[in-house]
Amino acid sequence: MTPGSSFGALAALAAATPGAAGCSEREVVWQSGKVKLFRYRPIARPAASAPLLIVYALVNRPYMMDLQEDRSLIRGLLNQGLDVYLIDWGYPDGADRFTTLADYIDDQLAGCVEWILRAHHLDDLNMLGVCQGGVLSLCFSALHPQRIKNLITMVTPVDFHSPADLLSKWARKIDVAALVGDGNVSGDVLNQLFLSLMPFRLTQQKYVDLLAGNPDRAAAENFMRVEQWIFDSPDQAGAAFREFVTWFYQENRLAQNRLEISGRNVDLRALRVPILNLIGKRDHLVPPAASLALRELVGSTDYTALEFDLGHIGMYISARAQHEVPASIAKWLAAR
Amino acid sequence: MQPDPWADWQAFSALFTSAAPRATGAAPGPSPFAPFADLTERFNAAARAYFDGAANASAPAAAAAAARSFGDALRELFANIQLPWNLSGGADGSNAPPRFAMHSPALGASRELQLRAQRIAQAWRHIEEAQRRLQRIGADAVREAAASFTTRLAASPASAPSAEVLQKLYGTWIDCAEDAYSRAAHSEPFCSALAEYVNASSEWRKELQASVEHSAKLLDLPTRSEINTLTQRLVAVEHELRARHEVIRPKAATATGKRRRTQRKKPKT
Repeated sequence: MTPGSSFGALAALAAATPGAAGCSEREVVWQSGKVKLFRYRPIARPAASAPLLIVYALVNRPYMMDLQEDRSLIRGLLNQGLDVYLIDWGYPDGADRFTTLADYIDDQLAGCVEWILRAHHLDDLNMLGVCQGGVLSLCFSALHPQRIKNLITMVTPVDFHSPADLLSKWARKIDVAALVGDGNVSGDVLNQLFLSLMPFRLTQQKYVDLLAGNPDRAAAENFMRVEQWIFDSPDQAGAAFREFVTWFYQENRLAQNRLEISGRNVDLRALRVPILNLIGKRDHLVPPAASLALRELVGSTDYTALEFDLGHIGMYISARAQHEVPASIAKWLAAR
Repeated sequence: MQPDPWADWQAFSALFTSAAPRATGAAPGPSPFAPFADLTERFNAAARAYFDGAANASAPAAAAAAARSFGDALRELFANIQLPWNLSGGADGSNAPPRFAMHSPALGASRELQLRAQRIAQAWRHIEEAQRRLQRIGADAVREAAASFTTRLAASPASAPSAEVLQKLYGTWIDCAEDAYSRAAHSEPFCSALAEYVNASSEWRKELQASVEHSAKLLDLPTRSEINTLTQRLVAVEHELRARHEVIRPKAATATGKRRRTQRKKPKT
């Protein structure tokens, strides 16, 4: 390490422009309020498979799935010939404070599914739920199993009371109704919470390591894109947030078959479609045990769990994930 | 000329504070990396003291003392790590609302206002108490981390200083700190204190909102509650429309339904 090279590293960092969100060509094909359904332009020979709808989390922006050309789960899926759709939930504002989980699942997610099915003249599609989006996908699939051909869950919590789940432990005694009130929940507050899970690594070490690692321009831009994504956190619609924390984190209803959406029981045993569960072994947000619990809860006899030696974010953007995750998904889908 | 990794590391650290603005031609100002530069410089100073102490130590006890001093310095250095409950201040009471009439009986025309002021002050006191408990637990965790770091260092003393050795030491310290913090963060006292901090903050905000709304009404300004009422009416209308649409849509779908079910392959085993 020389001072000269470090000087260049700082210059590269300061000059790095994160760029526009997402890198693959796409178009909005359906919109309802702030929710947009994107369809990605194919870049490879189409695989003989139903369309794949990616359901991302509400708590972060979905462009993490398509961060840059060499760090894009979506591009990897497109390269495998899959027909990829993505839901962007948008940025909720004060007018969305009473939006509930039922609204997200039975109205907005259902609307996206209906549009795709009509456009392709199909009865069912493939769904890939990511993190909290995986929970929404499980709920939707259990309520509308006839709409799902294959279900893929990625870093998705199912048992919210697994011993290593720090977020869950923190949430248990919090008066969520009082926290939310009648308003939304600030994305900045959630960011502080996530940073507090590993404060020494996330607020100190990663910056020191970055500079000590002497990043070139490409590495610096990659870092800044991730940094932009981490702190680009939408506020959360108050009602849906209250329901999510109370029903899942505090009461663990999904795992205990006590969850109701729109007055209907979300019974995971109704899920008999093939299921692929993708897990990060080093995930500090969704401990592996929280995801692995899915197997015992679903009715499917065609269940596959794949564990990767990656962390939560590494599952989308690490170099290793680019090689392993899209290919695993495509191979699994091709067999079904 | 022999390479001097120590000088390289120090020069590198110095760049953190000074190079970024000049390197890009941006206007002079504090570097966004200044906190990390400061951290690195102070870490370096502590490490340098440790290496000096260990080099001059003739007995194992002296080397252990040098390691302990290093651990103590890191404990001080990381005592005020940025955490949400450390940010809002107030632990010294400087941001607290006035504690007027905390124990006075609420009587007369201003009774409701006084009660609200008392509730705000009470909530603030609860916030401060929870903050102090969280900070105590955090300080204990950093102390535990320092002890763990000292033990590791004493068990396998670092070799001569170099950029790589220093970075490895820093990594070891972060591992110790995260381990100790994780144990504390999973503990019942921490979870309870955090919940009390959040709950008291919610109570404080609720009373403050009510106070602001009261003032807004006096001036005939629209309040958040009124806007919420209107929004809820709109949401109810939307739900009603959707329900009616759901009644119509299945019939329409049946009438035009020519969908095909996707072929399912038998999975290969």
